[in-house]
Amino acid sequence: MSVVNEVNIELKDIAYSYGSVEALRGVTLSLGAGATGLLGPNGAGKSTLLRVMLGFLEPDSGQGRVLGYDIRLERDDIRRRVGYMPEDDCLLPGMDAVTFTSYLGELAGMPRQEAMKRAHDVLFYAGLGESRYRLLDTYSGGMKQRLKLAQALVHDPPLLFLDEPTANLDPQGRRDILELIADIASKKEIRVVISSHILSDIESVCSQVVILNKGKVAAQGRLADLRQSHFNLFEMRVKGESGIFLKKLADLGCRVEETEDKLLRVFMPVGLDRREVFRLAAENGIQIRHFLQSRTSLEDLFAQSVRIEG
Amino acid sequence: MSIREKGYHRWDGRLQERRRAWRPITRLGIRLAFKRKFFKFAFSLSFLPAFVFLAGIYLSERLQDFRGFIQKDAVPIQVLPKYFLSYLTADFLLFMTVILLIFCAAGLVADDLKHNALQLYFSRPLTKWDYLLGKAAVVIFFVLLLTFVPGLLLLVFKLIFSGSFAFVVDHPGLPLAIAVYSAMAAVFFASYSLLLSSLCRNRRTASFLIFGVYVFSDMLAGILQGIFRSPYAGLVSVKSNLKIAASPLFGVKPPLEVPWACSCLILSAVVAAAVWVMNRKIRGVTVIK
Repeated sequence: MSVVNEVNIELKDIAYSYGSVEALRGVTLSLGAGATGLLGPNGAGKSTLLRVMLGFLEPDSGQGRVLGYDIRLERDDIRRRVGYMPEDDCLLPGMDAVTFTSYLGELAGMPRQEAMKRAHDVLFYAGLGESRYRLLDTYSGGMKQRLKLAQALVHDPPLLFLDEPTANLDPQGRRDILELIADIASKKEIRVVISSHILSDIESVCSQVVILNKGKVAAQGRLADLRQSHFNLFEMRVKGESGIFLKKLADLGCRVEETEDKLLRVFMPVGLDRREVFRLAAENGIQIRHFLQSRTSLEDLFAQSVRIEG
Repeated sequence: MSIREKGYHRWDGRLQERRRAWRPITRLGIRLAFKRKFFKFAFSLSFLPAFVFLAGIYLSERLQDFRGFIQKDAVPIQVLPKYFLSYLTADFLLFMTVILLIFCAAGLVADDLKHNALQLYFSRPLTKWDYLLGKAAVVIFFVLLLTFVPGLLLLVFKLIFSGSFAFVVDHPGLPLAIAVYSAMAAVFFASYSLLLSSLCRNRRTASFLIFGVYVFSDMLAGILQGIFRSPYAGLVSVKSNLKIAASPLFGVKPPLEVPWACSCLILSAVVAAAVWVMNRKIRGVTVIK
C-alpha cells in the first residue's frame, strides 16, 4: 500500500524487550500530519520506538504501519521515504560534507548527479554551506548535528524522524536547529517526529505530543487538547495553617505544588468542581486570597503524565 | 542573521529502487582508498611483478636476440601454466596485496563501527548483504586488478610475442585457471580483511591484524615445520594455503606434500567465519541484551 493517508503512523500493541528489560509495552498510537513530539524521561523507550518504526528492531508483538507500509514486511519502502537523524554522533570519516551527504542520498535511491546537487542545497539550508568541503573529522558538535539533519533531508523524505536533534548544542545552536525544524514542519507535505526530553524544544515546534513513560503511552494528542482535557490547573495563595487543607485536597485527587514564593499550583482532576476547594478551605479556616485558572505548560502535562512528583 | 539563507525546497525527482544498491558503497570505498597517503605508491609498486613477468615472457620469445648476453649454461625461461601460477602466487605480489588491504580494507567496517555509521546505512533501503557486498567489492576490485587483469594480459602478451595461438591451444584451461584462482583469492582476501576489520573498532588495530596474521601465520608455519618436520605445518600459513589451493588449477604439484583439498577447506573456513562474524556484528542498532 503506498497511499499516504492523513494518519501517517499507526501502531498497535507494539512490544519490544532488550532481554529481560521491557523497552516498549503495548504501545498503541496514531499520528497525523505536522510535527509530533515524542516525549519521555530517559529510558522511556523513545529511541526504541523510532528504531522499531524504521525496522531496525523487530517488535516482539504488535503491528504497525508507517506511511501505509508495514513495519515488519515493508522496511525498505519505509526507509526510502523516511529521513532519520540519529541521536548518537555518527559520520563517515575521511570525507567532506558534500561527499557524505550525496553518498547517503545515493544510498536512498537518488541518481548520482541529483544527489550531488541536492547535497549542496541541503548543506546550505542547514547552515553548512561555507564548510561543506571541510573534512568531517574536523567538525564541531554543532556542525555534526546540522550535518545529521542535512543527511536526513537529502532525499526529501515525506517523514522525518529526529532523535534528540538538539542534544549537545549551545543555546544559539539549539535555536538554529529548532528554527530549521519548524520551517520544515511548516511544509504541509512533510511530517516530523521529534524525540526529545527537552520540553521547551517540543513545545516550540510540535503541535502534537506523545508522552512515553516506562515503555507505555502515558498521553497523546494535540498539545492544545491535552492541556485542556487532562487537568485544570489553578494558582492559589492562601492564608492560615494549610497543612490539613492541602492533605484534604490531595485526598480529592488534586496534586499540589508549592513554588518558592508560596504560590500553590493545584492540578484538579477533570470533573472536580472548583467550589470544592473553597468548601474545604472554609471548613479548615483557610482564607483563599488569590485563585486563578492557569495555562497548563508542557512541563506540567509531562510531570502529571509520568507521575513525577514536583 | 538566521542560518537559513533560503527556505526548504522540495526535490522533484524520483527515488529509484536499485537492484544493485551496493554499488555506491564500492565506488566510495575505492575513491577513499586512492585518497589515502602512500596508497598510490603501494598500488603502483604492486604491479612490479607483472612487469618483471612480462619481461620474462618477452625474453623467452626473443631469446635469439639476446644470445650474446646469456651464459651458455643458463636455463631458458619456459612460459608454461606454472609460469602464470608463479606470478599469481609470487611472495611479493601476495605481500603487496596485504599491504594494499591495510590501506583499502582495514577501515571498511572498523571505521563504521567506531563512528556509529551503520545506522546511517541501514536507515536507507539497504540490506545487510548489500552493505557487506559493497564493502567486499572494494577488496575484490583491487585483488582482481592485481591478479586477474595482469594474469590475462600476460597471456595476451604471450600470444602477441609468440605470434600464434598455439599456446592457448596447448593449454586451453589456462584462462579459466587464472579466472578461478583470481576469484578465489579475491573472495578470500575480501573475507579475511572484512573479518578482521569487523572485529575492531579501530582502523589501526585492523591494519595491524591484517598484516600481523598474514606474516605471523607464515612465521609460525616455518617454526612448526622446523619442529615437527611435517609438511602439514604449512597449513597454518595463509600464504602457503593460497599456493597449495592454486596448484591443481594450473596442473602443478603443490609446493608442500599436502592434499590441496585441506588448503581449500581452510580458506573456506575463513570465508565462513567471516560471514558468520559479520552477520552478527553488522546491525543497524547495537542491541545489548
